[in-house]
Order: sequence, then structure tokens, then C-alpha cells
Amino acid sequence: MKAVESPAHEPRTKARAKTDKPWQVVVLDDPVNLMEYVSRILIKIFGFSSEQANVLMMAVHQQGRAIVWTGGREKGEMYVNQLHSAQLNATLEKAE
Amino acid sequence: MTIGPTVAGGLKLVPEAEKDWIVLLEIANDGEGKLSKRLAKLMDEDSMWDEIVVPELEQEFSKQRLAVMREVVKAKEDKSDIHIVKKSAEIWYGALNQARLGLEERYKFGPREFTEASKIEDPVARAAYYRSDFYCTVQSLLLQYVMKD
Repeated sequence: MKAVESPAHEPRTKARAKTDKPWQVVVLDDPVNLMEYVSRILIKIFGFSSEQANVLMMAVHQQGRAIVWTGGREKGEMYVNQLHSAQLNATLEKAE
Repeated sequence: MTIGPTVAGGLKLVPEAEKDWIVLLEIANDGEGKLSKRLAKLMDEDSMWDEIVVPELEQEFSKQRLAVMREVVKAKEDKSDIHIVKKSAEIWYGALNQARLGLEERYKFGPREFTEASKIEDPVARAAYYRSDFYCTVQSLLLQYVMKD
């Protein structure tokens, strides 16, 4: 009985803590994608308002990158997949 | 080539010379490359992007190029204009984008506002730049007239 009790719970807790660390979806600048298109994609994928999308698009254009979403890894990967499908440079980073 | 919006909310491409057809047929060739793999390089190894996402994206990108190629070939055979309707606008936009991304990867033109075609010495690269510029114009027209909400 004793051998079964405690080790069964501990790793599960650790794994969960690791998964819950926030991740950031980052869109990176490139010289090809049109600014209007980038805004449209951000609206389509993340449901931003046109104003929010334009601010983020300008950040990508002027600073070379913008964090567009923060959350769990799995969902972040889904968003990056959608951004790649739209041919935008995007990556997933651990939040600092 | 003449390009213009249609009353039905599409875009009409009217090739007028053989060279116009050549440029349109180049869209698929210019887009051929390793876009999905280049995008995968932005992800860490833990994501298994190469194994899971790349094949799916490759298929999607390939479908866009093939669809545009088929449409152009058919129009050329039929000696007809090309009509890009709302339904196929995203496919065209995607294929044109792939073509521009492919050319950028090969020739490193940089942002349009800082590139002067007359200063590109290599004639092959200059021709590629003009194609990229043309593709960009069609994309802008698609956004303006066809893909608007």
C-alpha cells in the first residue's frame, strides 16, 4: 500500500506545473507580407479589433516582432500553426 | 496585361501577349521551395514541427500553386481571361505570396521601398524582381477589391 500511494501523485503535479508555464506567440517581420494582410490575419486568427491588429502589425513592422498571444503551449502551437498556414513568420517562446 | 476589378466582386486578368502568360505560369515555379521547412526552423525541436506540421503545410501550399497553375494553363488553352472570384481569392493570394517569399529567399531583395530595380545588375535577378513586383500588385488588388469583408 505504501509504495503505491505517494510516488503516483508527485510526478503528475510536476508535469502540470511545467505545462502551465506561459508561452508567447510571437509574429516576426519579413520583407514580403503586406501590412494589410498581416492585420487581417491577426483579426481572423485571434479575433482582435481592427485597431488592436493594426497596433500589433505596426509593432511587427517597426520593431521586427510582436507578442500577439500568451497562454498554454498547446494552444500557442495551434496559433503558430495557423500563422504559418497564412505564411507569416511566427514562433512560440517561453514568457519571461 | 490588363487587370481590373469586376462588377461581380472579383478580379479579371487579361493577358495580352505571350510574355504575360509566361509571367503567370511562373507563379507556381517561383513559389516552389521549402517554405514550410523555413517556417519550421522558427520552432524548437520539442514542438516536433518537422514531423507534424511541415507535411500538412507542404500539402496545403502545393495545392495553392497547383490550383493557380491549372487555372492559368486552362485559360491559356481556351484563350480566355482569368477571373479570380471571391471563392478562389485566398488560393491565388497564397500562391502569389509563396512566389514572392520564394523569390525573396533566392534573391534577398529586401523591403520594396528600399529596392530599386534599375540597380539590380543581374538580369535574371532583375526579371525576378519585376515578377515579384507584379505579384505584389495583384495581391494588393485582391485585398482591395476581392478579399475585403
